[in-house]
Amino acid sequence: MFDDGTPIYRQIADQIKAEILNGSLEPGGKVMSTNQYASFFQINPATAQKAFRELVDEGVLYKQRGVGMFVADDARDRLAGEFRARFFDDVLKPLIHEARQAGISLSDIIDYLKAQEGALK
Amino acid sequence: MSFSVSLRDVTLTYGDTEALSDVDLTLAAGKIHGLLGRNGAGKTSLLSLLAAFRKPTGGEVLVDGRPVWENVDVVSRIALVREGGDFDDTDTVKSTIETGELRPSFDLEYAHKLAQRFEVPLDKKVNQLSRGKRSVLAAICGLAARAELTMFDEVHLGMDAPTRDAFYKELLAEYMDRPHTVILSTHLIDEVANYLEEVVIVDSGRVLRHDDVEAFQGMGATLTGPADAVDALAAGLEVLAEQRLGGTKSVTVGSALDASARERAAAAGIEIGPVGLQDLFIHLTNPDRTGA
Amino acid sequence: MSNSTLAGRRYSLGLGLFTESVKFFAGWILAAIVLAVVVPFIVSQWNSIEISAWAVAANVGKYLVAIIAGGYIYTLLPITVAQGMTRREYATSMGVFGLLWSLMIGALAVAGFLGERALYGALDWTQAIQQGDDVQLAIGSFGDALEFAAVYPLAYLLYFTAGAVIGAAIYRSDGGWLVLVPVIPVTLLADDAMTAGGPWGPGWLVRFVSGATDTWSVWVGVAVTLVVIVTGALIARRIIIDSPIRPKQA
Repeated sequence: MFDDGTPIYRQIADQIKAEILNGSLEPGGKVMSTNQYASFFQINPATAQKAFRELVDEGVLYKQRGVGMFVADDARDRLAGEFRARFFDDVLKPLIHEARQAGISLSDIIDYLKAQEGALK
Repeated sequence: MSFSVSLRDVTLTYGDTEALSDVDLTLAAGKIHGLLGRNGAGKTSLLSLLAAFRKPTGGEVLVDGRPVWENVDVVSRIALVREGGDFDDTDTVKSTIETGELRPSFDLEYAHKLAQRFEVPLDKKVNQLSRGKRSVLAAICGLAARAELTMFDEVHLGMDAPTRDAFYKELLAEYMDRPHTVILSTHLIDEVANYLEEVVIVDSGRVLRHDDVEAFQGMGATLTGPADAVDALAAGLEVLAEQRLGGTKSVTVGSALDASARERAAAAGIEIGPVGLQDLFIHLTNPDRTGA
Repeated sequence: MSNSTLAGRRYSLGLGLFTESVKFFAGWILAAIVLAVVVPFIVSQWNSIEISAWAVAANVGKYLVAIIAGGYIYTLLPITVAQGMTRREYATSMGVFGLLWSLMIGALAVAGFLGERALYGALDWTQAIQQGDDVQLAIGSFGDALEFAAVYPLAYLLYFTAGAVIGAAIYRSDGGWLVLVPVIPVTLLADDAMTAGGPWGPGWLVRFVSGATDTWSVWVGVAVTLVVIVTGALIARRIIIDSPIRPKQA
């Protein structure tokens, strides 16, 4: 289920963020409890709690005492914004680096992307 | 009501052999702790002290802040489950389970539910059980004790993989249902790593490391790539193991890499891989390791 | 047994051990009674009956009581400590069990001697106790039988205590069997000082201790036995309280 590299709580946090981005978790929607997460993924509840704490600190989730955790109203916009901010540096840059090593020219990549845009729309 | 655990300057000797030397260890209440160590490292000795099975040769053993030896309020709420269990072998499973009622907190209904779930026949005698079923019976008695400090000493050894999995699941469910302190002693680390909150590694009678499980998970990395580049990157880091195949070298380091090191690695064509807790443990407790 | 309170569990365990043991050994006890009746009948076909068969059973019983005490400590100490009992609590449980068990077996022994008196009287057999190699101690009336048998409950408690000391010492350390060296002669001495029939044991040792107690009255014997029991119980308790639980054999 989890890979060894990143701490599990971060993987859970990333997964929740991904679910918010792709819409399976709605803004204002309730998130599963720590114990539900723990028994679903078979992990220590403290690990799940750590993921939640991180998300609360980032403003992605908010806590309602005695009720549970909810997705912040602006969570999706905020996450999308963050993704846009690091897209070029974190995603595209290493990709171009690898492409160059394989001998793919920048213009080939641009051509491909333009063709994709036409196909997707 | 969970019990905390604290050993202060504890030494335990059997005749001439020192099983534990100057152990100082504090375990927080209400967490699941992993106790990892090679065979003979001192895991069982340590747990025996916490359950007042033995008296330390020197030092102090406190549970819930109180000396544990012959302390009825404390020991009645501690359960140490040893591999194979502490049973009268000629007794039936049913009356073996009922022995648990010596504890005010024992939950007979829960024990029977578990016996049914894990298919342990109540009417059989303990010495008619297979090794696996015997281990399961021991685990059932430990879970149903509903203690404030529950310790499992390699209890899973006789169980097959699906049973171990079911046991871990039950342990987690019981833990979430009723917060208490758990210590799991094992050397099958990868199986239990996700269930743990803290990890203690003992080696040659000493506590080698004690930290949050995340600290261990981020503790090491493997660097694989051109030998020269790998050497350059690993310079100044604690090298736990290295391996060479032609011009390619693989090095396991004992610390996490910072962002700049990751960038340099990427630029030099070095792949960074994770080190599992199990591998890290093997490296840390390797007797050939210098400075260990 | 249902969930015990912390304060009362040492007594309920002692009582539980007693009732479980009565159930477990009921067959053995029944077999001893049957044998003590049947064997003289068979022997009487060829020989006249001149010794008490029940005395044999009652004396074998002393050793069985000792073995039960020692065996229980050896097996139950690790089990009860693993169930979160203190050694002190367990020692008390064994004390309660030892008292009840010795009383019960002792009462049975007394009843047996009286019953045998009735049987032997009716059949005109001689109910006698073999003493040493050729000395016989004849029981001629119910009063004789009662007088002879009355010390048996105390004798069983004596052997129970001896067994407890030995069992605890052997559990405590591998060299623990060395306590046999003082425990056996002291036990035989107390038994000999108190009982008219004398103890069973290795001939040379029994002759030796009999020599020492020849001039003592029964009451001195009872007093000596009480002192031995109390001292033995304290020693057994002390050893139990100090015992580490043995590691599991791999």
